[in-house]
Amino acid sequence: MKVAVVAGAPALLAQYAGRVDPIAEVREACLAAVGWLCADADAVRVVARPADQAERAHGIEVGYQERVARELLAGFAGTVEVVTPEAFVLDARPTLLVADGSARRGEKAPGHLDERSFAVDEAIERSLKAGDPTDLALLDLTLAEELLIAGAPALRRLGELDPQVRSAELDYAGDPFGVRYWVARWEIG
Amino acid sequence: MTLKLGRHEFDDQQTLMMAIVNRTPDSFYDKGATWAEDKAFDRVTQVVEQGAEIVDIGGIKAAPGVEIDAAEEIRRVGSFVGRVRAAFPDLVISVDTWRAEVGRVVCAEGADLLNDAWGGADPELVDVAAEYGAAIVCTHTGGVRVRTRPHRIEYADVVASAITDTVAYAERALAAGVDRRSIIIDPAHDFGKNSFHSLELTQRLDEMVATGWPVLVSLSNKDFVGEALDLPVGERLLGTLAASAISAWHGARIYRVHEVVETRQVVDMANVIAGRLAPKRAIRGLS
Repeated sequence: MKVAVVAGAPALLAQYAGRVDPIAEVREACLAAVGWLCADADAVRVVARPADQAERAHGIEVGYQERVARELLAGFAGTVEVVTPEAFVLDARPTLLVADGSARRGEKAPGHLDERSFAVDEAIERSLKAGDPTDLALLDLTLAEELLIAGAPALRRLGELDPQVRSAELDYAGDPFGVRYWVARWEIG
Repeated sequence: MTLKLGRHEFDDQQTLMMAIVNRTPDSFYDKGATWAEDKAFDRVTQVVEQGAEIVDIGGIKAAPGVEIDAAEEIRRVGSFVGRVRAAFPDLVISVDTWRAEVGRVVCAEGADLLNDAWGGADPELVDVAAEYGAAIVCTHTGGVRVRTRPHRIEYADVVASAITDTVAYAERALAAGVDRRSIIIDPAHDFGKNSFHSLELTQRLDEMVATGWPVLVSLSNKDFVGEALDLPVGERLLGTLAASAISAWHGARIYRVHEVVETRQVVDMANVIAGRLAPKRAIRGLS
């Protein structure tokens, strides 16, 4: 089976498109990974966190991670099931994880600078690149919340499922706006 | 509506900057700064670099003054249009003239657009536009003679008058064979109008836009701006830009301007606010 990790920046959404795409390289990598994930698939599972309390207070019923996933999957004709990180289990279905790293990677980052973000992001990135779920399973979700690591619950759940990774590719890693984005592809089993 | 300006086409809702290039020794704003042909050519080069899609080349100042006959007007603008055409094949070349005789020469030299600031004073100008596949600007002057200043002119409803006259002119151009996509209407601020008229036309420009004909506005540094703020020529840029913003909000398509860069920014900003244009590049809060 296949697992793809993609970025979840709302800037990827059509509703926030400008005339110049500030995130073109990330988008291109995400779409390529989704294309790989969906090849020959009838159904895809999306792991995305639901709208939180603050979002619901603003009238947002569907969280941005799910909306980003659905737009990236716009060309996919099969069925799409969206699950929360907690409900995520591995089976034969290809799985799309919407998961970003820390948003505190610089003084101009959305969450300002927190030096601790680098080590945590580096551990995640090393896991994604090597196809080694060990460090993902050890993610400290409390610290991750402080570091604004939006993808932590999904990534930790992936680690806890302890998949046997046959091959791993890290297609994109970067933080052009102080948020760490990854695009990674794993083949499991 | 898609605009077809001679050999150039522009998408729906795209706004265009028409930069003024005077081949005159006495225009009110630049006072002859581009009277010499090379200076005028330098001005064309400059406004192209600034992003103007159109240059509007004029050989006669609008205000009363020394009479310039057609032969002299042709001497001023005819071959100059050819020179600009050769140097800037992608540029829309407009010529500010009311004379069919001049229009014929400049179209042969490569002009794309005839900007008739005097409301169809020469009825044959539309035939020239049709013959050469050129676009035409149909202005409202309230029936005043060319190169005259308004004196005690009044309208029961200046906007209704502007709509009636410009649409009639547009229909006449269409009947003459001008492409529907090549006909533009212009309320002609200050022409045959006092400042109250020009201000009301700005305030109610959406009514002209609602006719469906693309609307050009020529606001740049004009007296209605100066009178609104009691400022002389040379100090009217901010007022011009405010009027440009309102015009953009109402949906004007073409802006005849002295200052290209500033007007482009204001028009784009107004259109982004109006939701007709996406922000150039948005990442704040979205990363």
